[in-house]
Amino acid sequence: MKKILIAICLLAATFSFPLFAQAKSELPAEPIATITWWHYGSGLAGKATEAMVNDFNNTVGKEKNIHVQAVFQGSASDVLTKTKAIFQSGSNVGLPDLVQLDGSGVLDIRDSEYLISMEKLAKQDNFDLKAILDSARLSVTYKKEMIAMPFNSSTIMLYYNKSAFDEVGLKNPPKNLDELATASSLLKKTDDKGKVVRYGFANVPTTYELIVWLGQQKAMSYLTDMENGHTGIPTKVLFQENGTMVNFLTKWKQLNATGSLENLTSDVNGAFASGKVAMMVGSTSNLTTIIQMVGDRFELGVANFPMVDEQATGGVNVGGGALYALDNGSGKSKQTWEFVKFATSAEQQLAWHIATGYFPVSEGTYSMDAFKTHLQNNPLYGVAIKQLEESNPELQGVWIPSAYQVYYAFQTGILKMLVEDKSPEETSKALEKEINSYLQDYLRMNQ
Amino acid sequence: MDTKMLNKAKPYILLLPALILAFLFAYRPFLRTIVNSLFNLSIIGKRLSFVGLDNYKRLFSSGSFQDSLSNTLRFTLYFVPTNLIICLVAALLANRKGKLASLNQICMFLPMAVAMSSAMMLFKMMFNPSIGIMNSILLVDIQWFNDPKAAMLLLVIAGVWLDIGFDFLLLVSALRNVPASLLEVAELEGANPWQLFTTLQLPLIAPTLLFVLVTSIKDAMLISAPVLLLTQGGPFRSTQTLVYQMYLEGFKSGNYALGSAIATVVFGLTFIVMLLLLRFEKRRVYYQ
Amino acid sequence: MKKLVPVAATLLSLVVVFPILYSISASFFSFSDFTSIPARLLPANPTFQNYVRAFSESHLARFLANSLASATVGTTVRMTISIVSAYVFAFYTFKGKDILFVLLIATMLLPNDALLIENFITIRKLGLTDTYVGIISTSLLAPAHLFILRQYFKMVSKEYREAAIIEGCSDFRFLTTLLVPISQSVVITLALQSFTNIFNDYLWPLLVTNSESMRTVQVGITMLGFSENLDYGPQFAAITLLMTPILIAFILLNKKIKESVSTRFTGR
Repeated sequence: MKKILIAICLLAATFSFPLFAQAKSELPAEPIATITWWHYGSGLAGKATEAMVNDFNNTVGKEKNIHVQAVFQGSASDVLTKTKAIFQSGSNVGLPDLVQLDGSGVLDIRDSEYLISMEKLAKQDNFDLKAILDSARLSVTYKKEMIAMPFNSSTIMLYYNKSAFDEVGLKNPPKNLDELATASSLLKKTDDKGKVVRYGFANVPTTYELIVWLGQQKAMSYLTDMENGHTGIPTKVLFQENGTMVNFLTKWKQLNATGSLENLTSDVNGAFASGKVAMMVGSTSNLTTIIQMVGDRFELGVANFPMVDEQATGGVNVGGGALYALDNGSGKSKQTWEFVKFATSAEQQLAWHIATGYFPVSEGTYSMDAFKTHLQNNPLYGVAIKQLEESNPELQGVWIPSAYQVYYAFQTGILKMLVEDKSPEETSKALEKEINSYLQDYLRMNQ
Repeated sequence: MDTKMLNKAKPYILLLPALILAFLFAYRPFLRTIVNSLFNLSIIGKRLSFVGLDNYKRLFSSGSFQDSLSNTLRFTLYFVPTNLIICLVAALLANRKGKLASLNQICMFLPMAVAMSSAMMLFKMMFNPSIGIMNSILLVDIQWFNDPKAAMLLLVIAGVWLDIGFDFLLLVSALRNVPASLLEVAELEGANPWQLFTTLQLPLIAPTLLFVLVTSIKDAMLISAPVLLLTQGGPFRSTQTLVYQMYLEGFKSGNYALGSAIATVVFGLTFIVMLLLLRFEKRRVYYQ
Repeated sequence: MKKLVPVAATLLSLVVVFPILYSISASFFSFSDFTSIPARLLPANPTFQNYVRAFSESHLARFLANSLASATVGTTVRMTISIVSAYVFAFYTFKGKDILFVLLIATMLLPNDALLIENFITIRKLGLTDTYVGIISTSLLAPAHLFILRQYFKMVSKEYREAAIIEGCSDFRFLTTLLVPISQSVVITLALQSFTNIFNDYLWPLLVTNSESMRTVQVGITMLGFSENLDYGPQFAAITLLMTPILIAFILLNKKIKESVSTRFTGR
């Protein structure tokens, strides 16, 4: 009996403590306009997001009676799922005023009547779009209009274990896939039982890598028609007919033949930071986290994303996410714009860059002394920025339906080629067929 | 108001809430799913054109769906016997008297106290290949989230852990209901533990065992949330299951037509299993 | 041989509780404890920081309140509907009784998981996304409960009820003062089961809630956003915090729980 009483007391305690805590976390009294912002910033980016919102609410927001309420909605794909669910209901009830989305969601909302073009908002305020970095601006341009505001922009780059490079006598990071294969096989280490203790390189290419590895070939190529979906709904993939996929897969198979490539699909950062893999490719926005994870285990190096071959000169595209203004019937687009303008100002983008590793999208940041000093003190951050400056700004991410399935199609198809020793031609054709079927599905749905 | 009429209408009125719920959240969506699977649907779920069995044709010829189907069946095949054997062994080992036995029993059903999503977050962190505790405690170097076989194994381990609490409780209480006098007599006559188990305990706990068996088959065929939280269907689609793919098609791609076709396939599969369950239930009533 | 049984049982039970013990230990880890190779079992310098952060950097308390509220309301409604329906099927005779019973029980064949898409569309059309009603809506009908309760109620003789009714006892009073108290054990077991089911639900609340203030704890705990940067501490702290009261209740009530399971599966 006593035990039951104790148990009941315990349960009662659980019931009551949220009530206390709730009282504390109650939101402040509402100022005139509350802007809801759904974002996916977690970890370092989450803290930086919070800091930025607080900064806004205490300065510009206070002045202009705007309060931004940031709601963390999970990963980028979670935010998209939530937003899309409302779009699919055919009504705008419940939409946030502002939403942060990555490239995988653009196709689903860009034609919606509830999307407020960022360019329009900027023009109403006589804001010069030249203040935004060209390549970043183009990454969210649809039918010649900047539909969103680039915000957390990043590119892909090569991370390498400098200590391991020194150990095997490698001086420079590899520039292309041939060099990568050579370096990788040198870096591979086995113990006396023949077990691999360090792989040279770890990756399974998916959409993220292929946009670049296919796109940088022949000066610049697209994965799909409609300029990677930036001028309309893509109807077919191009990588089979223009040969970029076969060219890439041939190199990839050679790399795999060295036996130093590990087909890692997740926890690549962990494997790299613990020294089990000597090279990886990843977003520039991971830099701060990876520096933390590596600690003083080894010396970290970063370099340009390796090219497929010497002819692949297109460079890299701007990835990451952007801010989309939505019409939820509250008519607060002006106030939303105020926040967007604030978030992408030179000063805020500098703070954002330092905190997260995303590169500044504001042209103004690049001429700030504080920014130059920061790069001098942290040279690793400069690599990504230089790489982007050398890239063709026309090379853009792909806006494709069923982004999730396409991602797995690449991953599975390429692994199949390696494991079942299929030819690059066969693999490229199979991928064309599968991804085209997703594109067809989408076209059918949008008749 | 006529009281006689009212009395006649009373049972119907009392049943109304249940009937409304059954209609709204079971039959209507069920029928709509089946009908929708025969249509081409727009991104907001509007019927565009009747396409007959076209969605199914496309579904069965797609590699993604073939993967889902085979993964779901493989998972069921691995998970169900593993779960049954581990829970049964646990119940047999813990079916003793005394303080230690009681402690053992508490430990075995404690996983019940951990909610599914918490448990999956725990597993995700513990099985992290480079910094997780599991690899270093087992002195192995398994790529839990990168090796298709390991990922499937992980899903099975996670599934067993999620189910062990309740299944253990069921089996241990079934075992306790086996009369001690019966066991004592058999023991005096020189029966060894294996004989005791097969001739006395097994037949008596058979109904519970069947219940555990059929419910775990059903759970296995419908598995989705652990997939979403642990592996997200990867690597290389090796853990993408039917319900998880349905979720992807419906909520990630907005492809309701294909999603409805998958749902219909799932109905078909669970229908068979649930019919089996109902049959066992009926027999059990006679049994006791 | 016989002596090996307790040893084996203890080993197995340790394996089973290991994730729970590790979670408690890891909730006191510092960041460097997590990244140390090989991984640690116990914290080097135990810290409470993770608990502080789990609370200050998320709305864990609010999520928990949402879960408790929806599970309590959901269980109450679900039990009421189940009891009343079971009562009608056990004691009334009316036209179409068998068909209606089969109709309700047969919903067992239609798992919620497969109805996800359509149910979501329904909830959206009814404007119930982001509400408690939306969260609990699909779990209000419990055909298995209805079935078990009807079996149980049938053990009470019809004459008993008729006598009570003739004495002037209303249906409501008969149900609340006589029938439910007699069936106390099964009702409590089913209610507990309902509560944990709704409390632990994940996929459905994930889909139907949008705002942070409506998020349930099962969804919230996966969205704390710490673990993506290998910042595991606060995540472990949150999980530990959530399970501790339930763990203690389970340990204290372990006899009751074992009993209730055996009543449930022999009492039909």
